[in-house]
Amino acid sequence: MFVGWPGIGNIGITAMNTLKGILKAEELGEIESWDFFYPRKVSIRDGLLEDLDFPSNKFYYQRIEKKDLIFFIGEEQPTEGGRMYANGEKAYQMANIVLDVGLEFGCQRVYTSGACVSLVHHQIKPRVCSVISSEELIKELKKYQNTILISEIGGRGGGEGTITGLNGLLLAVAKKRGVEGICLMGEIPDWLSGASFPYPKAVRSVLEVFAEILEIGIDLSFLDKTERQIEEMIEGIYAKFPSEMKEEYDRRKFIPQTKPGTITIQAQIYIDERLIKGGDEGGERPI
Amino acid sequence: MKVEKDLFEIYKTPQLQSSSLIVGWQTRDIGKLGSKVIDFLNERLGGQEIAEIKPLGFFPFGGVRFKDDLVQIPESKFCACEKNNLLIFRSDEPEFEDYKFLNSILDFAEHHCQAKELYTLSGTISLIAHTHPRRILAVFNQPEFKESLQGYGLVEMTWEGPPAISSYLLWVAKRRGIAGVSLWPEIPFYLATREDPQAIKLTLSFLNRRFNLDLDLGGFDLEIRDQDEKIAQLRRENTEINNYISELESGFGLDEDEQLKLAEEVYELLGKGD
Repeated sequence: MFVGWPGIGNIGITAMNTLKGILKAEELGEIESWDFFYPRKVSIRDGLLEDLDFPSNKFYYQRIEKKDLIFFIGEEQPTEGGRMYANGEKAYQMANIVLDVGLEFGCQRVYTSGACVSLVHHQIKPRVCSVISSEELIKELKKYQNTILISEIGGRGGGEGTITGLNGLLLAVAKKRGVEGICLMGEIPDWLSGASFPYPKAVRSVLEVFAEILEIGIDLSFLDKTERQIEEMIEGIYAKFPSEMKEEYDRRKFIPQTKPGTITIQAQIYIDERLIKGGDEGGERPI
Repeated sequence: MKVEKDLFEIYKTPQLQSSSLIVGWQTRDIGKLGSKVIDFLNERLGGQEIAEIKPLGFFPFGGVRFKDDLVQIPESKFCACEKNNLLIFRSDEPEFEDYKFLNSILDFAEHHCQAKELYTLSGTISLIAHTHPRRILAVFNQPEFKESLQGYGLVEMTWEGPPAISSYLLWVAKRRGIAGVSLWPEIPFYLATREDPQAIKLTLSFLNRRFNLDLDLGGFDLEIRDQDEKIAQLRRENTEINNYISELESGFGLDEDEQLKLAEEVYELLGKGD
């Protein structure tokens, strides 16, 4: 089962949506939204209430080469108390419902995806960092190109941290219920984690790993244009970095990102002032 | 459908048949329209408190709100006016479990009071002057119900955007096959945080006619006159405010600063002597 919710850089949900589209997965069902979300929009025409629009939570299905795949795409994470990412009872309920459906169809493994906020340089190809439900999966993970375990990033307390939101919570629920779980997170530079635009470069990295997992060829050329546009935007901001800050940041290109380090406070303030900040907290921040 | 009894505190089962449910919200109550109309109906029609929705699970209990030095607790109460076959619900908007809360209102109304029609009351902020006649914008959840209320002078609304709780309730009622209408009387923006007796009277006039309530609404004329006089005095004393209102009367808009200035001045003015 492949599951995606919105998060930092929309990396996970874009990857899942893309995979679902490429494999032409068909709609299987949905979780009724009203128990989890307040409607987003009402449509009223000529004095008649036509409809309310809720965030959708849909399941899709496809079979490839003897593999039955279920996708779940949630347009929003259920929250309590105005937070951006899922928390509380509703989130736990939703994670369990998603898994209920998976188990109903004999699901044996759950994949979630998100962003891994790291000290990567934006000009470097993002790696895919993974968190897994059991040690038995390490060997398999090691086979995939450009994929590392979260503990291999370094400077992060030996791989300890939290995957916030449903992309993390679902793994916990799956493990509790005896289902294998893997979260694949595309690296995103720390200073871009609050940006309001997506980060397609990491989406590409994640999709390449999914292609390996599923043993399929995926033509990712459709990502080229968006990737180029976002790159230009990021380069535009980067070009305006003060020289001292740029120098410090550029060291990331040459130093393997296995050493602790962080962007300076001054640099972060500079960046924050120039980017439209996204949510109120981190999303998938394995720190 | 089974009614979850634990959700309610029921004091009395009223004698209502094919009743109409009138709902007003006291949260974000533009021009105090919802609460004033509900209070007036209950007072004049002898509405008896019959039940409430228990707040636990719908409202936060991490402390208590206070307003004008007074502790405020969330309320969600049903009153019955048996003679007129009306069920009246006045409530704060829930902060959690909106769908469950809205269904609870309709559960009680349907199963304990045989409600067949729903009327929600909420003011809508308008860029009209207070001297301008008010209109009631309306949204129906069934074409047949819309048809049946032709001739009441309601103005059909067309809109897309984030839904208010009244629209959400109307949608829930539609799913349950309960005919409903949301009434959105226009309130001049600078009366939104005070009262708008003209909009309150207009809404009551509609309900009076719809349910043959035989209500005497004469008292509102005095309130309207009193409010008009206060604002007229302000216009005489303050040329800037007079110009702003004149602009609105001529059908022109005001910029953000002008709107704010007018709203603040009128808020201050109408607060005096409260």
